[in-house]
Amino acid sequence: MDAILQSIIQGLLLGGLYAAVGVGMSMIFGIVQITNLAHGDFLVLASFVSLSVMGAMGWNPFLSLIIVIPVMFVIGYIVQVTMLNKVLSRGAEPPLLVTFGFSIIIQNLLLYFFTANAQKLSTPLLLKSIAISANIRIPVMYLIACLVGVAVIIILGFYMRNTYQGKAIRATSDDNEAAQLMGVNIKRTYGIAMGISMMTAGVTGVMIGVLFNFYPSSGSTYLIIAFAVVVIGGIGSINGTLVAGFIFGLAQVVGGQILGATYQQLIGYIVLLIMLIVRPQGLFSK
Amino acid sequence: MRLNAENIKGMLLRYIVAIVILAALFTLPFWGGRYIVMLVMLMGMYITLGHMWNLLAGYSGLTSLGQQMYIGVGGYTLAVASTNLGLPLVVGLIMGGIVSVIIAVGLSYLLLRMKGMYFAIATWMFAEAMLLIVATVSFLGKGQGLFITEARKLVTAQIYYFSIVLVVITTIVIVVLLRSKLGLGLFAIRDNDSASATSGVPQFKSKLYCMIISSFITGVCGGVFYMSQVWVQPYASFSISWTVAAVFIVVIGGIGTIAGPIVGGIIYVFLSQYLSTLSQIGSLNMVILGVIAVAVILVAPKGIVGTVQEKFGFEILSARRWLGKSLAKVPVAPAPASEAERES
Repeated sequence: MDAILQSIIQGLLLGGLYAAVGVGMSMIFGIVQITNLAHGDFLVLASFVSLSVMGAMGWNPFLSLIIVIPVMFVIGYIVQVTMLNKVLSRGAEPPLLVTFGFSIIIQNLLLYFFTANAQKLSTPLLLKSIAISANIRIPVMYLIACLVGVAVIIILGFYMRNTYQGKAIRATSDDNEAAQLMGVNIKRTYGIAMGISMMTAGVTGVMIGVLFNFYPSSGSTYLIIAFAVVVIGGIGSINGTLVAGFIFGLAQVVGGQILGATYQQLIGYIVLLIMLIVRPQGLFSK
Repeated sequence: MRLNAENIKGMLLRYIVAIVILAALFTLPFWGGRYIVMLVMLMGMYITLGHMWNLLAGYSGLTSLGQQMYIGVGGYTLAVASTNLGLPLVVGLIMGGIVSVIIAVGLSYLLLRMKGMYFAIATWMFAEAMLLIVATVSFLGKGQGLFITEARKLVTAQIYYFSIVLVVITTIVIVVLLRSKLGLGLFAIRDNDSASATSGVPQFKSKLYCMIISSFITGVCGGVFYMSQVWVQPYASFSISWTVAAVFIVVIGGIGTIAGPIVGGIIYVFLSQYLSTLSQIGSLNMVILGVIAVAVILVAPKGIVGTVQEKFGFEILSARRWLGKSLAKVPVAPAPASEAERES
C-alpha cells in the first residue's frame, strides 16, 4: 500500500514537469500551427548544453539555466525565422518534414560529439528526500521539478495574458490577417513564440537531465510525452496541459510500479491510445 | 493526347527504353561486378521503400513516420516462418507482407480518423510500441533478435533478383494504381480533402487501400532486406532511420512524383555508400542526409524530378491517365470534365 502511495506522489510530481514538457509543443501547435517533431530533441539538446556549461564553468545544473535559457531562445528564434517561416505557406507537410529533419540532425550531432553514453546532470539534491511517514518519502528533486514545471506554466499564462507581446501572439493565433492589419509583425511574432517554446524546452530539459539519465536518442521519448500531454489536455489549453501532465505522469509511474519498470513507456503509449480512441479532441479543448 | 504519328513514336521510344533498362537489370549479375550487383540490390529495396512512403505521404496526405514497423514485422515474420516453421523463404516474404497488412488494417480504424500531426506521431508511436513489445518477447529472441538460417544458403545474385522483381512490381503497381480511379480519387483527397468528399470520393476506403498496399509491400521489402542480412535484430529493424531514409529519398527525388523515389533511391544508396567509406564520420552521415533533406525542402520543394518536370514540362513516368487511348477506342464518348482538366 505504501509503495502505491509513494508512486502516486512521485507520479503527480513528475506530472507537473511533464505538463511543462508539453506546454511548449502545445503552444507552437496552437499559434504557429507547426508540429514540432524536434521538440523532444531540443529538450535533450538543452540537457547537453547544460552539461557542457556545467563542465566548463563548474556550476550546478540550476545555475546553468542562466545560459541554457537564452541560448535556447536564440536557437528557437533563428530556426523559426530563417527556416520554418519560409515553408509555412506551403501547407502542413513541409514544416512537419523540416522539423523531422531537425530531429535527426540534432540527435546525430549530439551522438557525434557526446557519444551514445548515458549522461546525467548531477546534483547532491537528487538523493535528498523529505520523510512523511516510515515508508513514504517525497524526493526533493521531484518536488523541485514539479514546482519548476508549474511555475513555467503559470509564468507563460501570465505572459500571454498581460504583456503586449503575449497579446500579439494570441492575436496572431486567433486571426493572422487581422493581427497583421493591427501592426503585428507576424513572422517576428512566430519567431518569438518559437523562442519561448524553446525556453520551456530548456528549463524542462535541465530538470529531466537532473532526474533521469539521458542519451542523444532520448528525444523521441520526450516528444511522445509532449504529444500525450497535448492530446490529453486539448490543443491551446494551458490549464488542460497541466491536468494532462498530472494524468500522464501518474499513469506512467503507478503503472510502472504495478507492472514493472520495463513497461513504463508502454503504459504511456496505451494511455495515449485510449485517449485517442475515446476523446481525440482532448479533455479541455475549446 | 491523341494517337497521332508523333505520339506513337514517343510511346515506342518509351517502351524501347523500358525494355532496355529491364533487360540490363535482369542480366546484371552475369556481366556486372559483385559490388555493382550489391549496390543495385540495395537501390531496389530503398526505391521500394521510397515508393511506399510516397504513396502515403505524397499522394494520400498520410505523412507516416512509422514505416519501420512494417520493415521489422516483415523481417521477423520471415525469420519465424523460415526458421521456426520451416517454410520456404518466398512464403515467408509473402507472410511478412500479410502480417503487415493485418497490423495496418487493425490500426487503420484508429489512424485514419487522425490528420496531420496526429497521424504522423501516432504512426511513430505504434512503431515504437511494437519495438518495445518485440524486444521483450523471448520467442522473438528479445534484444538479440533471430537468425534467418535458410537465407545463409543464398548468394547475393539470388537476393538481387528478389529485390529487382520487388522494385519492378512495385513501380508497375504504383503506375497502374495512380492511373486508376482510386488514384484519381487520391489526387482529389490530397488537393482538397472536404471538396473531394463532397464529390463522392470514398475517403476512408481510398486511404485504407493505400495503407494496405503500402504495408504489404514495405513488409515484403523488410523481408528481402533481412534476407540479405541473415539476422534480424529489434533495434535496427524497428529503427526510425528507415523512415528517415524514405523521407530523404522521396524529398530529394520529388514528393508526389512516380520517378521521384527512383531518382532519390539511387542518390541515397550512392551517397550513403560514399559517406560510409569516409573514416571517422560516425553519425555525421545522418546529419549530412538531414541537412540535405531540409535544404531541399527549403530551396527546391518539388525535389529533383519535380523541378525538372516543371522546367522542361515532360514526365518520365506520368501519373496522368492516357486519355488519348480511351478516346481512340470510343471516339464519341466525351471525356469527363475532371479528367479533361487534369490533362490540360
